[in-house]
Amino acid sequence: MTLLRRAIAALGIAALIAAGLRIRGTGGTPPQTGGWRELRGPDLR
Amino acid sequence: MSGDSAHQGAPRPGVAGVLGVGATGARAARQLASADGVERVVLGGPGDRPEALRASLGDKARIGDPLAGGAAVVVLAGPAGTHVDAARRAIERGAHVVSTSDAIGDVEGLLALDEAARSRGVAIVVGAAFSPGLSCVLATHVSAWVDEVDEIHLARFGTGGPACARQHHRALAGRSVDRRDGAWVRRQGGSGRELAVFPDPVGSLDCYRAALPDAVLLQRAFPDAERITARQAANRRQRLLAVLPMLRRPHPEGRIGAIRVEVRGRRDGVVVGDVVGAIDRPAVAAGAVAGLAARWCLAGRIPPGAAGLAEVVDPVPFLHQLAEHGVRAAVFEGMV
Repeated sequence: MTLLRRAIAALGIAALIAAGLRIRGTGGTPPQTGGWRELRGPDLR
Repeated sequence: MSGDSAHQGAPRPGVAGVLGVGATGARAARQLASADGVERVVLGGPGDRPEALRASLGDKARIGDPLAGGAAVVVLAGPAGTHVDAARRAIERGAHVVSTSDAIGDVEGLLALDEAARSRGVAIVVGAAFSPGLSCVLATHVSAWVDEVDEIHLARFGTGGPACARQHHRALAGRSVDRRDGAWVRRQGGSGRELAVFPDPVGSLDCYRAALPDAVLLQRAFPDAERITARQAANRRQRLLAVLPMLRRPHPEGRIGAIRVEVRGRRDGVVVGDVVGAIDRPAVAAGAVAGLAARWCLAGRIPPGAAGLAEVVDPVPFLHQLAEHGVRAAVFEGMV
């Protein structure tokens, strides 16, 4: 019984750590220069 | 007369049908009703929305079954999973089909109707929405800026109506379909985080793999591209809860959305990358794209067969006409 409880607790902690790792962080760095402008004129020929 | 009995029979050139008049279908119907050359728009769908829309569209609109015959083109804007059977019925009656579905199953099923559509001389435009749809047209347009296309990477943010939001939720829990080195690669949705820069005011957002059909459609137009990927933006809550049923009621009309298309290739032997995008309410933009695709079908500007917009439209006039409806694209200038 004790072994089962410990196994469940270990799995729970592992799941929490995995969830934390999954949702934290970022996918990169935004560009520091440049910007958007409307597509028109020569871009649309 | 508002019953559908008036519309049954052979397709009539000036008659368009819209099946599913939610946030996207209603916009497509509105655009068709205001278009020259469209005499009648047949509205079909569950509930009292078709009647409410008919009342606001005026004399051109009728309530009925768009698949019963009489419509020369039918816009399918119902929930994902309903498009293949509806398209089959439509082409049996000689009508062109424009589908707004962004479900991989629908897209693959519709593309499989290619032979049937060709034999009847009708077009099935697959994925005619914001993404896929406008994203595919932009990819085709930007591909003309390079000599050779090596990679295409799409990203999208936002949802249209409730059906779109539910599909967005399912997509994040599904498996992505990306093209890599000449083979299809399927990976778990919610993985592969990348920061994508969308047009202002959306800005930079983390995007993830999801069950999106864009690569399936674009690969047909760009068979030699080494990599074609599609990702969708999601926040932490959406990623964490993607495997559960939706816990919040979706917004009835959707809010601001954006798409971003990056094409990498070679120009004069030099490796280059071009990024274009668009912002709009996804349902509004999707309705405009679907409505315009339907008008091109009526005008005979789409060849018979089943294909995505990247294969069948000339992007420059298509983008010009979309801009007249307020859907404008933007280009990123600078280092990405």
